[in-house]
Amino acid sequence: MAEQTSESERHLISRVRSGDPEAWEEVIRRYEGRLYSYLGSHVKHRDIAEELVQETFVGFLVSLPNYDSRRSLENWLFSIAAHKLTDYYRRQGRRITLSLEEGIEGANRCAIGGRPQRGPSTVAASHERRGIEEQALSEAIEKQIMAWKSEGEWLKVSCMELLFLCGWSNKETAQYLHIDEQQVANWKFDFLRRIRERLRAQGLPQDVFPELQGEEK
Amino acid sequence: MAQERISDQELEAYLDEALPPERMVAIENALRHNHECLLRLHRIVSRRDNGIHSVAEIWRRNRLSCPSREALGAYLLGALTEPESTYVKIHLETVGCAICLANLEDLRAQGVPSDGERAEIQRRRQKYFQSSIGHLSRRE
Repeated sequence: MAEQTSESERHLISRVRSGDPEAWEEVIRRYEGRLYSYLGSHVKHRDIAEELVQETFVGFLVSLPNYDSRRSLENWLFSIAAHKLTDYYRRQGRRITLSLEEGIEGANRCAIGGRPQRGPSTVAASHERRGIEEQALSEAIEKQIMAWKSEGEWLKVSCMELLFLCGWSNKETAQYLHIDEQQVANWKFDFLRRIRERLRAQGLPQDVFPELQGEEK
Repeated sequence: MAQERISDQELEAYLDEALPPERMVAIENALRHNHECLLRLHRIVSRRDNGIHSVAEIWRRNRLSCPSREALGAYLLGALTEPESTYVKIHLETVGCAICLANLEDLRAQGVPSDGERAEIQRRRQKYFQSSIGHLSRRE
């Protein structure tokens, strides 16, 4: 669940922003265990996991001016932790470094961690546009998922997760869930139609997300 | 079988460290030995660099269909209905949501901690607090 920031969490962050050590202690108390579990499961070494959690909390305080308190604090902390984990793996030489020196048709020259440079105004406009698109899409999907959850339609939620998060075909999804392939196609069609309607209502162009374009029932 | 294939959506999750460790390792190995898979990863990175995001990326990042922490706690206790419990199980074990798995493990660890575990948690919290408090005071 996207977990919109609650009033009490907004208040907690406001206290952290003003430098209240008790509020900061409370943030650590709430989130250190789950961050430690996440990082510890990946690096398999307690001392390193602790170091990365420590870096995550410091990273949070450093990035606090950029944190939009309408967004989930937990998601923000985990996104910082994920970056710390990637940095750690790169230092260890355990992440593939992409280099397109040899050239790939249809792709620009790029490298993970070494992005092509663009002008500041282009980047700012792009960042703002992406933010608007992301917020609109998130709201549209979350509303539909919440509606299904409140109706007890758990199978439909699982079905959409397998299609859109795992990238499975209708056939694979149907087999895994032991339902008819046509049923999967119908649910997907209905889901896409509702999401597109919600995006259209917010004035977003039709082609922003190609994955949402029409599909036959 | 579906689970053996690495989809673009999973490659996106790999870039965001959003999968369980064993799946991350499997993808890492595939990228080292499967040129087609590596090409697809290149294309995804290139697309992101051009400011184009995807549904899967946004869905995972914002956790749009994740169970709440309360639901995960109820799942641990076996207190969910069978259909909801199945959804949580698929979310954890098949979709492989690393953040929900971390929450589940944390809830399990908090269940009935021994005195030693409680002291260990307290030690960690003290360490994090002391190592970060300097950054807090500078914000004023």
